[in-house]
Amino acid sequence: MNGFLYGAVLQWRLDLRSRTMLITCYGVPLLFFAVMGGIFTSIMPEARDTLLASMTVFAVTMGAFIGLPPSLAEIYQSDMKNAYQVNGVPLCLGLILTNLSAFVHLFLMGVILYGVAPLSFDAKLPESPAVYFCSLALLIAVSLSVASVVGLGVKKTADTSMVSILLFMPSVMLSGIMFPAELLPKVFGTVGRLFPATWGYELLRENGIAWHSLWPLLAILCLAGLACVLLLRRIRTR
Amino acid sequence: MTDAVRVEGLWKSYGKKRILKGVDLQVSKGEIFALLGVNGAGKTTTLECMEGLRPYEEGRIALNGRMGIQLQSASLPGHMKGREALKLFAKWNRVSPDPAMLEALEIRELEHKQYQELSTGQKRRLHLALALLGNPDLVFLDEPTAGLDVEGRIALHEYIRKLKSQGKTIFLTSHDMAEVESLCDRIGILKNGFLVFVGTAMELTEKIGRHYQIHIKTQEGEETYESQDIGETLTAILKNCRERNVTIQDIRVDCGSLEEHFVKIAKEE
Repeated sequence: MNGFLYGAVLQWRLDLRSRTMLITCYGVPLLFFAVMGGIFTSIMPEARDTLLASMTVFAVTMGAFIGLPPSLAEIYQSDMKNAYQVNGVPLCLGLILTNLSAFVHLFLMGVILYGVAPLSFDAKLPESPAVYFCSLALLIAVSLSVASVVGLGVKKTADTSMVSILLFMPSVMLSGIMFPAELLPKVFGTVGRLFPATWGYELLRENGIAWHSLWPLLAILCLAGLACVLLLRRIRTR
Repeated sequence: MTDAVRVEGLWKSYGKKRILKGVDLQVSKGEIFALLGVNGAGKTTTLECMEGLRPYEEGRIALNGRMGIQLQSASLPGHMKGREALKLFAKWNRVSPDPAMLEALEIRELEHKQYQELSTGQKRRLHLALALLGNPDLVFLDEPTAGLDVEGRIALHEYIRKLKSQGKTIFLTSHDMAEVESLCDRIGILKNGFLVFVGTAMELTEKIGRHYQIHIKTQEGEETYESQDIGETLTAILKNCRERNVTIQDIRVDCGSLEEHFVKIAKEE
C-alpha cells in the first residue's frame, strides 16, 4: 500500500474515531431525518415526493459545512502542518485526504437515507438511481469545496465554527428544503441561489440531467477549487 | 563540500522588524552545533529558514545531506496512534523505520497510544523518531529536551551522542546550558540578529576572560578567593597556609559556567 492510499485509509479511521465527524455526518442528519421526516409527511403528504432530496441536502450541507472546516483548521491553522511539511508530506495532502474521507462518509449517509426514507416515510425514490447518485456525488464535492475554503481561509480555529454556521443556516433555510423557495421574499430567494444546497436540491429532484442546476454547481466548484489553491499558497508562505 | 551546513549573509524580517541581519555560519560534518540566544533572538527563525519552512530576503543556505527535523512546536491529529504516524510518514517517504532507533527512543510503548494521550516527553520522542525515519545525515533539533523530565533528558542526550558516533551532524537550539556544554562541539550565540560568537565553550571562556573562584576548606573554616590568574593565586594561598601551619582539607576551583558566560555576552552592549 503506498503512502497516499495508507493516508486515505488512515484519515477514514481517524474520522471514525472523532466524535465530531460522526455526529455531523451521521448523528444529527439521522435525527433530523427522523423528526422532520415525520413532521413533513404528516402535515404535508406531498412532501414524500421531495423528502429524500431535502433530507439528503440537509445531511450533505451539515456534514460538509459543520464537519469539515474544523478538521481542516486543526491541520492548517496549527503546528500540525509543520509536522507534515518537515516530514516530507506535501501541504495539500491534508486537504485531499480529509475531503476524500468526508466525501465517502457523506456519500454513505446519502445511501443510508436512500434506503431508509422509503421504508420509514414512504418517500418517493428517483426514477434513475444512477443519475441521482451522480448528482449526489456532485453536490457533495461542491459542498466540500466550499467548506474547504472556510477551513483554509479562517485564520483562527475558534472562528471556524462561527463562519461555518453563517454558511450552514442560510443554506438550509433558503435552499427550499424546509419550505418552498418560491414562497420566499425575492431577495432571500436570490441570496439562496449563492449556496450549493439550492442547486443541489433542484438537481436531486430532477429525473435526469438538469443543466440549469448543473452549471452553477460546476461554477461554484471551480471557484472554490481555485480559492483553495490560493489559500494553500498563502498558508505555505505564512 | 565538507560542510554539512553553510549559511551566508542570511537576512530575515517580519514586517518592518529585522530578525536576522546577515548571519553567517558553517557546521562541519559529524559535528554537534548549538545555536543559543535569549528568547526572540532569532534561533527558531534561523532554523526554520534552514529547514525551508520560512522564506528569507537575502542570503544563501547550503545543506549537505538528507535532513531530519524535530520542531519546537509540532503536533499530529489527536486520534492518530504512534504506530500510524510512523507508518504514514515511512510509507510516504518510502523508508522503513530502523528497529534499533525505535528501541533506543522507546517508541514501542507509544505505538498503540493516541497522540492526544501522550505526555510532552513522549510526543517529543515520537517527533524525534519521525525526524530520524529516513536515516538523515543532518538532524535539526529545536529545543529537543524542553519539557522532558531528568530521565528523558539523559536518554535523549545519550541518543544524540549515538547519532554523532554514527557520523551524523546535529544542529540544535537550547536554553539548557548544561546540556549544550555536555553535548556540543561548538556553539553560536545570536544577539539582535547577529551571530556574536561562534566557537567552542572553551573559546567562549577565553573570550569572556577567565575568572576563578577558589574555595578552600581548612580546620579554621571555609574561605573563597576571587582570581584572574589561578597559578599565582593558588601559590599565594598555599604559601600562606604553610606559614600559618594550616592543613588544607579541600580545594574547589570554579571557573564559571557556560551559562554565566552566555549571560555576559547576551547582556553586553
